[in-house]
This record gives sequence, structure tokens and C-alpha cells, in this order.
Amino acid sequence: MLNNTNVNNGDLVSRVSRQMRISRILIITFFIAYTLITLFPIYALFIRSFVGTKHATDLWLTPPPLEEASMDYQWGSLSVFYNLDSEKAKADLGIPADAYIQSRWTLARIAKEYDIPEQKIKDYFTPYSVYSGWIVLFTDNKFWPALFRTILITGLSLFGLNILSIMTGFGLAGLRRRDQMFVFNLYLLSAVVPLMMILLPQYMIVQWLLNLIPGYGVSGSTIRNVSQIAAIVVLNIKGGALGTMIYTGFISTIPKELGEAAEIDGASILQYFRHIVLPLLKVPIATLTVMVLPSLWNEFMGPYIYLDANNTTLLPLIQSYTGTYTTNYQVSYTGIFVSIIPLIIIYILFRNWFIQGAMSGAIKG
Amino acid sequence: MENLVKRLGGRRTARRILIDWAFILPQLILFFSLTILPFFIGLPTVFTDRLSFVDTDVEYVGTENFTKILTEPGIKDEFLPALGRSVRFTLLNYVMVFAFGLSLALLMYEVGFRGGFFTVIYLPMMLSGLAIGFIATMLFSRSTGTLNLLLLDLGLIDKAIDIKSASGLSIILPLLAGWRYAGFNMAIFLAGLLSIPTETIESSIVDGASYLQRLVRIYFPQMIGSFIIATIFCLIGSFNIFDELVALGALYGNQEASFLSIVFFTYGFQRGRLAVGLTMALELGIPLLVVGVLLQRIQRRFQYDT
Repeated sequence: MLNNTNVNNGDLVSRVSRQMRISRILIITFFIAYTLITLFPIYALFIRSFVGTKHATDLWLTPPPLEEASMDYQWGSLSVFYNLDSEKAKADLGIPADAYIQSRWTLARIAKEYDIPEQKIKDYFTPYSVYSGWIVLFTDNKFWPALFRTILITGLSLFGLNILSIMTGFGLAGLRRRDQMFVFNLYLLSAVVPLMMILLPQYMIVQWLLNLIPGYGVSGSTIRNVSQIAAIVVLNIKGGALGTMIYTGFISTIPKELGEAAEIDGASILQYFRHIVLPLLKVPIATLTVMVLPSLWNEFMGPYIYLDANNTTLLPLIQSYTGTYTTNYQVSYTGIFVSIIPLIIIYILFRNWFIQGAMSGAIKG
Repeated sequence: MENLVKRLGGRRTARRILIDWAFILPQLILFFSLTILPFFIGLPTVFTDRLSFVDTDVEYVGTENFTKILTEPGIKDEFLPALGRSVRFTLLNYVMVFAFGLSLALLMYEVGFRGGFFTVIYLPMMLSGLAIGFIATMLFSRSTGTLNLLLLDLGLIDKAIDIKSASGLSIILPLLAGWRYAGFNMAIFLAGLLSIPTETIESSIVDGASYLQRLVRIYFPQMIGSFIIATIFCLIGSFNIFDELVALGALYGNQEASFLSIVFFTYGFQRGRLAVGLTMALELGIPLLVVGVLLQRIQRRFQYDT
């Protein structure tokens, strides 16, 4: 009798564990499928950076092959299809800059008119059939400065935000709990106040301050460009709940004895801050950095509002490629792809930090 | 003597507190003047007819702006549809929080934390709002959308989805938002799940509770904190959505992408109707603020309870 029950139990256990194994396999399969789906849009974006307007109505899952340029192409349609910079193309082909090329002229006619070998023209335009997005982007003389400004603003903001937030955390850790919560709740307000409610008056204040700077009114001047970039950085480092929470929490755990010992040894507060507290903060610095990096790198609205068109960052520049009339999305897709690559590389390299940040942020809310 | 020590000690603490505040103030001043102050500067403007930031002829008009939003034809016809679009987007986006975030978290909880899957699922968080808008166009443009062409090829749809149409946009945008924030929301729910004591789960399994019973009786009640956090983030994020819409051409006449944020923006920055724009932002911002603060209060109470 006893024996019998045991056998039954064993059956049940093995049935349940078999069921569990099957559901595990199903779930893992689902996750594999979902990760492929997750990656698809980014892969598709990469492929579309090679697909010109001419071929955009066909499905491409790999880059289309190079197509030899036809001498029947009209000059005007080239600039539409390939976002061709006609001034640059003229210079590259050895056509005088002041020469006027009618948009209906074919490449054959241009070859005859300016005595250029047909093969040279073909060789020049053939890469455009696939790489026009990349060529236009990388030869645009606004692209590299915009990339530089994006890196500059992101770097300065990360540095400033960390320094100021560490100071906030250091100060708050020494205060009474009641004062701590008061300051912290102020910062928390920024997480719930809808952006649009403060965006317009904030713009008013920043413009008023910027106009106090002598020489700011001169469009294109260095002082104007630098002040605009500084304004973005200041807006980025004004702080929020996240940095305050991370640093206050961490610095509060540093034993008080450490501070007292430093004081007895004759260290000033600044020396204590610089030589004892700062070196302990590697982990929270990394945490805050990975948590704010994406929003800093991907910031669009601030630069869009505050920076002049000739002084802008990557995303507003890419946005400007598709205005009211342009229909060539290839350059925009290439630009967007290029803009996400640096961050994705950093993400993959430091994925453990990012995931830790995501999980700890989720716990603390 | 004892008294002197006490006094000296008191003075030292006072000095220490001053130094602490000196460390706090630089960022607090920046924060106050760029986040708190703007709100109070914007407030009086809603009772005036201010047209732009440089308007010199500003008059007090009382609460006229508040009625204007709902009655004046030109304004009403933009505000109300935009409100509708924003609310619809927020609701669908909220569904996506659970469809993506909660489902993925529950599934991952069953098989244990997998760093590799997590890395990929969290990856779209690295994309900008602008990128999401362009990706929406790239995948679902009527004649050139990659996913449209693929689904048509596979015979899964018989008519292309059009991102420029009202129905196309209202489905695609929440889907892409769900995809983008999947890892973020999954982390919130997973953190909630992982904080449940395993003993309660094990004993419910031993008692023969089905998976559904476990969800409703064990998991969800102990994850209320996660639900509230996800709700706050979704609510605020949905109403703040802007970059995606700009990439979809909202500032260049794409009516379907004209959500509330776009209307505020155009009224404030482009149309020269600053006071009206601010009034709209305020009328929506205040309820959102109240809901946000309330939810936060509730969430904190749950934190203290557990």
C-alpha cells in the first residue's frame, strides 16, 4: 500500500517536471523569437541606408547591388534622387563653378558639353546608386561639426551633472532627515511636472539671460555659438531626482568615523571630499552615467529650440534633411542609423552596467 | 567648562550645516531657476493676451484664455482633436506597458533572469525619439515601408498600413513605444517579482494553485509598487511625447501627428499665441501633476508597508 503511493508520487513529480521542461523550452523559444523581432527594425534601418528612392518601393532585406549610372540620367533628377550637392559634383567633375547646367540635361550631354570622358562620369555617379545616403552625409560640411557638438555637449553634461549631483549628495547626507526629504521632494517634482508646462517660460528665462551676454545678438559669432551650447549644458546639469537619490543614498552609507578621522588628522572639508569621498564613488558615478547617457546623447528638443541651425547637434541636423519638400529619406535613415551606432556600441561594451542601472532604478522607482 | 564644549560643539555643527548647504546650493539654484521658477513665471501669463516672448503690448484678460480653448473655433478645432489623439495614445501606450513589459517580465521570471535576452530587449531604449519616428516611417510608409512590403510579400496583410493615416499612426506609434520601452518596463515588473518571498510562491505551488491563481493571488498583490511606477512613467511619458511626432512631420503639416505637445509647442514658439499655449499646457499639466503626486504618495505608502 505504502509502496504504491510512492510510485504514484514519483509519476506525478516526473509529469510535473516534464511539463515544466516543455514550458521552459517554449518560453526560451519565444524569447529567441522576440529578440530577433526586436533587432529587426534596426537591421532594416541599416539596409534602408543603402536603398535609394528609385528602389524604395521594392522589398530589400540585403543591400541592393550597385547599378551602373546611365548616361541618360538627367542632371535635375540626380539631385532629387541622390540629394546631390551640385556645386560639389561640378567641382569633382572639373566643370567650372559658374557654369549653368540645366536640370533637363542628360549626363551624355554634359559629357559632350564640358569634354569629360563618359567613363569618368559613370564611375563618379555609380556609387551613388547605393551609397548616396552615406556619401551625402559624410561629405556634408555640417555633419562632422554637429557630431562634434553632440559629443561635446554629452561629455560636458555628464561631467557637470556628476560633479553637481555629488556635491548635492554630499551636502544632503550631512543634513537632518527632514531637510533631506524637503530638498529631495523638490527634485522629485521635476519627474512629475509635465515638460510642456515649464518649457515655454524656461525658454523665456534662458533667452533673457543669453541676451545679457555682450555680442550674443551677432548671428554666427563665436560668443553666440558658445553661449548657446553652454545654455544646453546648464539645462542638462540642473539636476533631478535620480542623481540626488543615487548620491545621497550612497554617501549616507560612508561611515561617519571616516569623516571624524579625517578631521582629527587636520583635513578640511574640501580635502575630505576630494581625497576620501570622491574615490569611493566609482560605482554610483558609473550608475548615474549609464542611466542619463542615452537621454543626453538623444536629446532633440533642447538643441532644436536653443541652437542656431549652423550651430546644431546631430539629431536636429538629421531632422532638417527632411523638410517640407524633400522626399529623399535615404539620407535621413543613414543619419539616424549613424546617430544610434555610438550609443549602441557603448551599450554593448558596458551592458552589465546598463542592466544593473535599469534593475536598481526599477527597485527604487 | 562643560558648557563651553557644548557651545563650541554647537557652533561646529552650525558651521558644518552651512558647509553642507554650500555644497547643495549650486545645483539647487540652477534647478530652482530653471524648473521651479519657470512654472511661477508662466502662471500669470495665462491671464494675459501675451502673443510672444518679446510682446510689449500685454494686457490682462482674466480667464478669457481658458474659455477660448474650448470655444474659439480656430483654437478649439486644433485643441480638441489633439487632446483626443493624446488620450488615445496614452491609453494604448498603457496597454503596451503590460502587453510588452509585464508579459516579458512574467515569462523571464519563469525561466530565471537571462542577461543575454535582457540586453537585447533593453537595447531599443538606446534609440532616440527622433529615431523611433523615422523607424515608424521606414517600416510603415504606405508604398516604401519595409515591414509593409515584407508582410505583403508573406501574404499576412492584403493592404499596406499607412503611418500617415489616422488609424495607422494610432496603432503603430503605441506598438513602437511598447517595443522601445519593453526592457524598461520589464525591469520594473521583474524587480517587483523578484522581491516576492519565494516561500509564498513555493507553498502555493505545493497547495496546487494554478498559474492564473498564482498570478492573481500571489504575484499581482505584491507587485502593486511596480504597477504604480509603471503607470506614472507611462502617463508622464505619453503626454510628453514630442520627438517621435516631429520625425513624423508634425511640425510640417502632418495633422494626424499633431498631439497636445505639438499644439503647445506651435502655439508658444511658432504661431505667436504664447498665452493660449501656456493655458493649454497648464490646464492639462495640473491634473497630470496631481495624479503623478498622488500615485507617488500611494507608492511610498506601499513601500513602507512592505
